[in-house]
Amino acid sequence: MNKTILIAKKELFRIFSDRKMVFSLYILPVIIVVAIYSIMGQLIGSMSKDIEEHNAVITVVNPTDELKDIISSSEMGKNADITFVTEDEYNSKKAEIEDSILNGDSDLIVYLDKDFGSVADSYVAGGDSLPSMKIFYNSTENYSSASYSNFDSEVVDTYKTTLLDSRYGDLSMLNAFNVDSQVICKEEKANMEFLAMMLPYMVVMMLFAGVMSVGVDAIAGEKERGTLSSMLISPVKRSEIVAGKLISMAILSIISAVVYCVAMILSIPNITGGVGNMGAGNISFTVGQMLQLVAIMVVLVYFYVGVIGLIATLSPNTRAASSAISPIYIVIIILGMMTMFRTGGTNSIGSYLIPVYGSALAISDLCKLELTSINFLASVTGTLVCGIILTFVVAKAFNSEKLMFNA
Amino acid sequence: MIEINNLTKIYKLSAKKKRELKTNKDVKIAVNDLSLTAKPGEIFGLLGPNGAGKTTTLRCVATLLKPTKGDIKVCGFDTVKDAQKVRDSICFLTNEIKLDEHFSTDYLFNFFGKLKDMSDEEIAKRKEELFAAFNINEFKDKKIQELSTGMKQKASIAVSLVNDPEVVIFDEPTSGLDIVTAKGVLDYLKKLRADGKTVIVSTHIMSEAEKLCDRIGMIIGGKKVIEGTIPEILEETQTPDIEEAFFKLYMENTDEKEVK
Repeated sequence: MNKTILIAKKELFRIFSDRKMVFSLYILPVIIVVAIYSIMGQLIGSMSKDIEEHNAVITVVNPTDELKDIISSSEMGKNADITFVTEDEYNSKKAEIEDSILNGDSDLIVYLDKDFGSVADSYVAGGDSLPSMKIFYNSTENYSSASYSNFDSEVVDTYKTTLLDSRYGDLSMLNAFNVDSQVICKEEKANMEFLAMMLPYMVVMMLFAGVMSVGVDAIAGEKERGTLSSMLISPVKRSEIVAGKLISMAILSIISAVVYCVAMILSIPNITGGVGNMGAGNISFTVGQMLQLVAIMVVLVYFYVGVIGLIATLSPNTRAASSAISPIYIVIIILGMMTMFRTGGTNSIGSYLIPVYGSALAISDLCKLELTSINFLASVTGTLVCGIILTFVVAKAFNSEKLMFNA
Repeated sequence: MIEINNLTKIYKLSAKKKRELKTNKDVKIAVNDLSLTAKPGEIFGLLGPNGAGKTTTLRCVATLLKPTKGDIKVCGFDTVKDAQKVRDSICFLTNEIKLDEHFSTDYLFNFFGKLKDMSDEEIAKRKEELFAAFNINEFKDKKIQELSTGMKQKASIAVSLVNDPEVVIFDEPTSGLDIVTAKGVLDYLKKLRADGKTVIVSTHIMSEAEKLCDRIGMIIGGKKVIEGTIPEILEETQTPDIEEAFFKLYMENTDEKEVK
């Protein structure tokens, strides 16, 4: 055991005494994550602000006096560039106006039937015919879509209400029944929804990336450089060398994953700041949940270390090892993503036993406050057993002269 | 003491290896029924052309490879059954085994000392002795990657000798070294002999073997073709020097086709 710790310490010293390595492993990812999220947040924020501040360009055909009044008193009317035209004026420039909508130069055409005013008057007086209004907008243009939405809520709704009010007097008569909808949910669970979607994917992927970056070099790299042999001819059991290597790989990748996850969680407000609350606020785990998360992560790292340790041992050099690991990395990413968009359906206990996928399911459930003890145990046990098997295989492979010395 | 008894090492050849070696055979006999003994207080030289089986033999002695047939005893311990004890009493130096370039000689000396169950005091004492012998003190804190080839070789020798092993195995000890460093290494091997250690070296430099070795075993095509002191070999082959003796034996033991 002492020799295992000695080897693990040497591996850790190798990384932590190399400033470039520390920078690329632990500092650069944080800078990248924070920078990307900040830039995304700012871009989204400035885009929303730009749309908000845009002066809508609207053409209203055959406006009634009432509509003009509603528009001028609305918030939109103060900022929008509104042109009122008659039917004849519209017909003479119809193609031009419609083209301007298509090109994004204009945002909205509001067309009222020529007789809108008289039909509206007869409707108010109790008539059966309904006045007709057509609105043309370009759904592929942000400004146009936003203008439609604002016009609909600020002008059209107000106009409708005014006409209904004039006809019926008391609008509450139009209500068949009252609906009072109230949200019943655990506040913390609502806040954790976003995390439940992102965290399993982040953990599953980042832990693997962390192990991958250090594991390949620790075994295949040392084999390639001929430095592993110096340990193999020392009076140390192969299993002690394997354990020392795997422990150091696990420690390094856990640090890497924690650093990355913390950076990501801290960066989420940067992006949510741009689009309002995405449900990431007030994230909190209980001590029990934290311990469960740590247990899931540690066991998962152990499994990853086994996978990468085995591939690195079987590969003659780092290039071969990296090539062999790439497809596995893709599978890991897919497994992580599979839990991102899952609906409320329950998974069988067997799925929790599957390494990686089971861990992602367990983390997802943990965030949703739905992780049962049996599913937690299944995910930990399944991954742990596979990790132990892999460790034995790696130790066995270390005894192979063909693999170690290409003999 | 090293006792090699009827050592045979056969490699299975993969399809890729077969292509590399341009052969249809499924196996390659690297060492064929080889026996020899290297005694304490002597330098034993393994001589042979490239690919003769010298390195494979030394790797088997160093426990890195397992014999296909036969057995090897180092200080009385079997290299397969008591591999750990054998590793405890040997140092094996070869160009293929290198020190991790990221560390300093000082760090690696301490690391391997502890790996070989030495106390801090023992390591410090041994470090003083070996670092002085190889003039390592001036670069002991530099990373291996910053050292010259000669310095690296000195560092490798010092680190591998940290636990004062009884048996020293050297594969091509002066390969790639300048003449000054090479002499320093050979002088140290002579000192080890004087200290009563068993030293076994492989080389294809005949003049080096003639000056250094007490006894020589020549290997050609995986087989030992002669073993003895230099005068014994010269007498048996009726040649004036080791180089001539080697060529005579080489011609006798290699078929014409292969020589061409």
